[in-house]
Amino acid sequence: MVAECSTEESEAAQQYQRLFEEAPVAYHEIDTDGTVIRVNHTECDLLGFTAAEMIGQPIWKFLVADDQTASRQRIARKMWAPEPIPPSEREFVRRDGVVLTLEVYENRILDHAARVVGIRTTMLDITQRKHSEEALAQRTAELMRSNAELEQFAYVASHDLQEPLRMVSSYTQLLARRYQGTLGSDADEFIAFAVDGAKRMQALINDLLVYSRVGTHAGKFQAASSERALGSALANLRAAIEESGAVIHRGPLPVVFADPLQLSQLLQNLIGNAIKYRDGAPPEINVACEDAPREWRFSVRDNGIGIDPKYAVRIFQVFQRLHNKKDYPGTGIGLAICKKIAERHGGRIWVESLPGQGATFCFTIRKGEGDSK
Amino acid sequence: MACNTSPIEILLVEDNPGDVRLTVEAMKEGRVINNLSVVSDGVEALAFLRREPPYQDASRPDLILLDLNLPKLDGREVLRQIKNDKSLLRIPVVVLTTSPAEEDILRSYDLHANCYILKPVDLEQFLEVVKSISDFWFSVVRLPPDVRGVSDAWCANEVITH
Repeated sequence: MVAECSTEESEAAQQYQRLFEEAPVAYHEIDTDGTVIRVNHTECDLLGFTAAEMIGQPIWKFLVADDQTASRQRIARKMWAPEPIPPSEREFVRRDGVVLTLEVYENRILDHAARVVGIRTTMLDITQRKHSEEALAQRTAELMRSNAELEQFAYVASHDLQEPLRMVSSYTQLLARRYQGTLGSDADEFIAFAVDGAKRMQALINDLLVYSRVGTHAGKFQAASSERALGSALANLRAAIEESGAVIHRGPLPVVFADPLQLSQLLQNLIGNAIKYRDGAPPEINVACEDAPREWRFSVRDNGIGIDPKYAVRIFQVFQRLHNKKDYPGTGIGLAICKKIAERHGGRIWVESLPGQGATFCFTIRKGEGDSK
Repeated sequence: MACNTSPIEILLVEDNPGDVRLTVEAMKEGRVINNLSVVSDGVEALAFLRREPPYQDASRPDLILLDLNLPKLDGREVLRQIKNDKSLLRIPVVVLTTSPAEEDILRSYDLHANCYILKPVDLEQFLEVVKSISDFWFSVVRLPPDVRGVSDAWCANEVITH
């Protein structure tokens, strides 16, 4: 009986030993002085030392040089403090000099009388993850910088182009004003084309300036009433609403975390489009907002001419137009501005439509502090 | 006002010849009767106002139209010097610029600009603005009496230094 029992016990001990040595985490124990008293294979493999080389050495010897003194002080503190030891990240040096970032979990070892006799530590190698996190952060920073540069470029370009264009435009207009009808019909026509071209270019540059300002001259995010944003959008559209006989239905709209001026501009552009692209009948426009788990989903539905789904992406690009200037004037920047505003608010914008069946433009705004229905 | 009989003296400080001509044309269209003098940078502007060579015979302006972005000496600095010069500070300065920047507007008023006008991009509006400037400053407003008539008072050139 006794012999059998001890065989079982020794088998269990062997299994435990294997588990300890080959566990997929690095494991070591230190005594109260910080000296390594036990270390598993996984840790030896990770650091490139043998167990014999590690046992008996102070653990801080395996950390990067400039953390060794601090580590020694930390261990002294951790050993005797009453609270659990929080996980940490430390840099260890492999035998070949390569620095590894390890995630470290520590627990105090107590003897039968509940006295602290050391610390047991498990460690995970997060060097790879750390590197990719850093690479990602760097790429994100680069992307943000190049985006900001591009916006700045568009702003400066459109701003500086305005000056010479103002000259072209003013003097062609002055020509037309002074000499209309005196230089012959050809001259009148040429001047008219020059005036028209300069005016259109001015409109484009102005819009480009507005577009680039969405990013460069933006307002602060705050608790913004979308009721009020809609109110000011409708006030700005009053002439178009009255002229077209548009009827606007509105559901309850929430307070959202947004740039209030931009929210109003977004609604104004969408409602303005709904009025502009009408289908003979007076426009009926529905403005609503749905409460989704992580975002607010706004929609502007109309009974206008609708859009072929194959253009559903293109219409949100800068200066993309689907109609000729005579039927529907405009530069084609409105929806691009909407897209940029929605994206600045952590949201998306899209259209659901079929030709002749009206269109529903939807956009989302990420929920934030101070939102309420 | 007694001064209405003599022509109005305007100093235009503007470096872009296109803008100068446009202002001249606008005044023609608005039938503003005036003597318009033009200087094209900040150094010339101050020399003109202080009657330094080659401007010994310059007449004292009733109104200054000042662009902000000027070569050599910036319009803001010209404004500062005018408003710090006891012999010049009463001459109304109209800042006429294309800059819509808030800091330029605030800075100009801080420096005691008499008004700040954004140059309209559109010709019709520009003509309108030039006409309103002259209507306002030469019909509505009563200018300080020593600006006109007492022509020698300002030659004392009492300069406030800071």
